[in-house]
Amino acid sequence: MTQATSIPRRSVIAAHPLLSAGIAILIAADIFFALYTPIYSRLTPKLGDFPFFYWYLLIFMPVTSVALWLAMLLQRRLGESGGTR
Amino acid sequence: MSNVNATTFTIVVVLFLVVTGAGFAAARWRRPPNMMHLDEWGLGGRGFGVFITWFLLGGDLYTAYTFIAVPALVFGSGSIGFYAVAYTIMVFPIVFIFLPRLWSVSRVHGYVTPADFIRGRYGSRGLALASAFTGILALMPYIALQLVGIQAVLTVMGVGTSSTNTFVKDLPLFIAFLVLAIFTYVSGLRAPALIAFIKDTLIYLFVIVAVFYIPTRLGGWSHIFGVAQAHFASISPATKKPLGTFVPTSKSIGSTQFDFASLALGSAVALFLYPHAITGTLAAKRRSTVQRNLIYLPLYSVLLALIALFGYMAVADPTTAANVKKTGNPQLAVPYLFQHMFPSWFTGIAFAGIIIGALVPAAIMSIAAANLFTRNIFTEFFKPDASPALQTQMSQWASLVVKLGALLFAVELPHTFSINLQLLGGVWILQLAPMLIGGLFTRWFHRWALLAGWLAGMAFGTIAAYNVSSAAASHWAASSDIEFGHSVYIGLSAVVLNLVIAVVLTVILRAARVPEGTDETSPEQYTADPEQAPAPTPAAVGAAP
Repeated sequence: MTQATSIPRRSVIAAHPLLSAGIAILIAADIFFALYTPIYSRLTPKLGDFPFFYWYLLIFMPVTSVALWLAMLLQRRLGESGGTR
Repeated sequence: MSNVNATTFTIVVVLFLVVTGAGFAAARWRRPPNMMHLDEWGLGGRGFGVFITWFLLGGDLYTAYTFIAVPALVFGSGSIGFYAVAYTIMVFPIVFIFLPRLWSVSRVHGYVTPADFIRGRYGSRGLALASAFTGILALMPYIALQLVGIQAVLTVMGVGTSSTNTFVKDLPLFIAFLVLAIFTYVSGLRAPALIAFIKDTLIYLFVIVAVFYIPTRLGGWSHIFGVAQAHFASISPATKKPLGTFVPTSKSIGSTQFDFASLALGSAVALFLYPHAITGTLAAKRRSTVQRNLIYLPLYSVLLALIALFGYMAVADPTTAANVKKTGNPQLAVPYLFQHMFPSWFTGIAFAGIIIGALVPAAIMSIAAANLFTRNIFTEFFKPDASPALQTQMSQWASLVVKLGALLFAVELPHTFSINLQLLGGVWILQLAPMLIGGLFTRWFHRWALLAGWLAGMAFGTIAAYNVSSAAASHWAASSDIEFGHSVYIGLSAVVLNLVIAVVLTVILRAARVPEGTDETSPEQYTADPEQAPAPTPAAVGAAP
């Protein structure tokens, strides 16, 4: 069963290693930079009146949208036929 | 009822009546030839496009949690409340990984609930029952949170009598609740989908106005942040510790950074394990509808971040802060802020937005819980030959019972911070992660190992959450406790325990060659997008496949 699940996926990834890596990096980076709090849990630099912690989180939202949009475009190029994610 | 503002009250009542009308009219919207089928009542015909799905999922995800509970935590403890913002950032990349797969396999097999998938994947009725039970249990405190939100608005409006009898005191809440229950019964998922339009319009309107207008009244953002920073650094006379944090701190013991990150990650993984979020997803017409929504949904998260900042505005406004302090209920922070800052007619619009914003998700949640009960408990164990019409009828009644259960949670649990109701639900629902998310990618896990892991996670999580005490409550006081010197979200530590047990037992059970059950799904079905979904036959709905 395990074999059957992983074979088609592996072959798509093997056929397009760059695209697949691109998708994985986009998704992983999106999660990591929100999860690893020491990066943004500070006051400066400020943007206008907003301390760093607050404007970083606000700006992250549209960044997430764009990252997921790119990931979806890359997935389309992987092809409808294969088992993308 | 002495200090009720007539203008505010009238506007809330009028908007509530409009929404009630829409709720009943929804039964006619995209009317199918036969409403008495779970695909219709429970999934709105499975034909919602990008636009409606966006509103429906938005209505699912942004609830009284967003408008009342998060700002209340920010008002009371500062930056830790912003974990909700980090959570709504992380949730979309996380579900991008597994949600389209769940949509595809559910469409191919006509699954209505997550437990349907578990049953089909592992061939185990026991595991499906465990997941259905968890789903229903976890939704109760989440629905209760919606009721607490409505209650907060009604309290500030001055509606409600001063009687000591709970029933009489909360009569307006019960009326709102009853109306919700009846239109859910009649219209099913179509009602919240239609009302979500009205709700979101109202909410976008008042949030944008509030974000631009209130700071001008309070001396600008720099003043708001300045007051908040000073306020949370000041030492509480009761505990001899700072009142809160302005940014998460990194001290090794009781570090709020770790707490912050674990709450955010746990909530993000939990969100799309909730049956109501899955219901909203399965109602989508196409696989690409689901994917594209994940791109547009973060727009709501921007709103959530702005709403969280209302907590600081409430701190910076002396009148609001004093009002909240007098009642000792931080849930009232946002309603008091609006009442003090806005003219009464606009307060009415904002209050109606919050009330409707709590009713919509409560309706979707009770439908999801009802579907779980009907398909995975009633039909599975008691009446395997139930017709689609009987199943639908059963769901309609179950949706009422679930709401009553939620009412109990709302009355019984302490709500110093109502956000705990949602976090408690999260502790339970997270225990489905190994079987559900794991199962979407691999059939390696053994069904009995998953069941044992689930049991351990549920037991550990429940006991740990029960044992958390504070000055205000002896039990259920918070949803984080100390593990290995760090303050961690209990849901996350419980699911780690769950996963470890599932892995170890899977290795053992596989070595012992214990039968692993049949898997009715096949790999290509996880990426399928049938243009014309096969009409679910009575045999495919509920009856043993």
